[in-house]
Amino acid sequence: MAASAGWLSTAEQDGSLRLNAGGRWETAALAELDAALRRIAPAPGRAVRIDLGGLTHLDTAGAWVIHRTVRELRAKGIAASLDNAAPAHAALIEAIARNDRPGLPGRKRPNPLVALLDHWGRAFVGGLAEVGGLLSFLGLATITALRALAQPGRIRIVPLFSHIEHTGLTALPIIGLLSFLIGVVLAYQGADQLRRFGAEIFTVNLVGVSMLREMGILLAAIIVAGRSGSAFTAQIGTMQVNEEIDAMRTLGLDPIEVLVLPRVIALVIVLPLLAVYSDLMGLLGGALMSWAVLDISLVQFMERLRGAVPVWSFWVGLIKAPVFGLLIALVGCRQGLEVEGSAESVGRQTTRAVVISIFLVIVTDAVFSIFFSAVGV
Amino acid sequence: MNGAVGNVVIRVAGLVTRFGTQVVHDGLDLEVRSGEVLAIVGGSGSGKSVLLRTILGLNRAAAGRIEIFGRDTARLPEAERRAIERRIGVLFQQGALFSSLTVAENVAVPLKEHTELPDALIAEIVELKVAMSGLPPDACAKYPSELSGGMKKRAGLARALALDPEILCLDEPTAGLDPIGAAAFDALIAGLRSALGLTVIMVTHDLDSLYAIADRIAVLVNGRLVTGTLAEMERMTDPWIHEYFHGPRARAAVAAGA
Repeated sequence: MAASAGWLSTAEQDGSLRLNAGGRWETAALAELDAALRRIAPAPGRAVRIDLGGLTHLDTAGAWVIHRTVRELRAKGIAASLDNAAPAHAALIEAIARNDRPGLPGRKRPNPLVALLDHWGRAFVGGLAEVGGLLSFLGLATITALRALAQPGRIRIVPLFSHIEHTGLTALPIIGLLSFLIGVVLAYQGADQLRRFGAEIFTVNLVGVSMLREMGILLAAIIVAGRSGSAFTAQIGTMQVNEEIDAMRTLGLDPIEVLVLPRVIALVIVLPLLAVYSDLMGLLGGALMSWAVLDISLVQFMERLRGAVPVWSFWVGLIKAPVFGLLIALVGCRQGLEVEGSAESVGRQTTRAVVISIFLVIVTDAVFSIFFSAVGV
Repeated sequence: MNGAVGNVVIRVAGLVTRFGTQVVHDGLDLEVRSGEVLAIVGGSGSGKSVLLRTILGLNRAAAGRIEIFGRDTARLPEAERRAIERRIGVLFQQGALFSSLTVAENVAVPLKEHTELPDALIAEIVELKVAMSGLPPDACAKYPSELSGGMKKRAGLARALALDPEILCLDEPTAGLDPIGAAAFDALIAGLRSALGLTVIMVTHDLDSLYAIADRIAVLVNGRLVTGTLAEMERMTDPWIHEYFHGPRARAAVAAGA
């Protein structure tokens, strides 16, 4: 296909403007022809005759620009006609004309400042709606849980254990490894700084307090949010797309009871266990590093730990765990149920679930910190 | 109902396709002539869609030769292959619209990728193609998730027609449409074919479509194609073909077409 073989020439004839079109008028070569046609502006009262006799090829886009030119000239009160069109070309232009319809008015671009305010406003209101939605979902889940407690037979044991396995047992390697490494890093960095004051032994306090109070549970919660919270959204969301949730409702099954409750209970049970495990692995990493760079033996480390770090530090970390588990499971399940229609929506809600649950975990952690410092532990 | 039927645009010879040990096509031959509407029919799982995908280069054939516009597609350099692909429009079964783009943006994708046209002209062409596909003007700004199944197919058709292809491939174009929508879609294809001089290859289950718009029919039985006109098909002795064209539904379609 020769790309530039379409041409257009103009000539004056008998007091009218004559346009000769020829060659291939096809989509790929239309940019210049379109620009040339748009420039045509005959003097008022002069007729325009477009001669199509030289056309060898015409496709819909070529026919469109010819049709549009004629239409626009006529709209300006200029007589315009097509001459010498081959029957096939005339038929195509005719078919195009039948499909010409007044376009919708183009969307106006708003003022950028207004658009920015609009965006912020929507984000803020959306955030509030999210909080409201989560609270009402919490209420719904609580009511369903209470109802299930009244008839314990309605708690689904098999899915519960399956979720415990998938969220807890299979997360052990990754949580163990990451906590161990964080313990190593804390001990190494702490030792490096504290050595300058001759206070290397306080490395044990640093590792112990930060691991037990904050790092252990935060690491476990963030990994679970990324691994299992997102999985909950994807599982429930896919069911939503397949209309499985609607099918459940028509079969008289409550999706909250069947899908949400086992997942929430599973995470509330699993996350404290993972937090303890994460604490242990972090301390192990810290102890090994202290031994390596500070020559503090494991026995010394344990003794120092017992003396320096109150048992409350452990409980402070652990108390938070079920709350985080509840948050992660609720957000994951709620986002899954929010999925509508398409597979794309599953992806979007999964991302939201992870972002929202990690955000909530850290905010709640901060609230706990304030609370604990107010009560003095 | 025949338009000008001309030279061979697609020739498939001795095609063999396998999935593992399962042979789908066993030495299959097919010729598609310019300007005709060829319908490929066959039972579920007989490999109709696989044949279409193999011709389009989405599946690799185990053996055989596929020529499009006289060129052997297996031996073409990348650039020429792309040039040939641009002359073929494809409508997938579910429309296969890009879900993150509006209908107008979907139709504009091939125009923006493959031409140097100014945006204003692209917008005009998009509106034209959307109109030709029988969609209302307000469909342009909608996302695929907001469209019904029939509208998705029409939008997919508008995108397939964006570059004015010479060959249009349709995979189950009327599946999932109500009878009125399916008949309207058949009429749309027939109208576009005569207005644009398209060659149409369609995979279908829909007997009404066969009787309404197909010039020739290729039936896929036992990994091979039996090709002929409707009248020839009705005289075939192969049990599956006989059952297909003489079953209760076929009689209903004949009665409706008569």
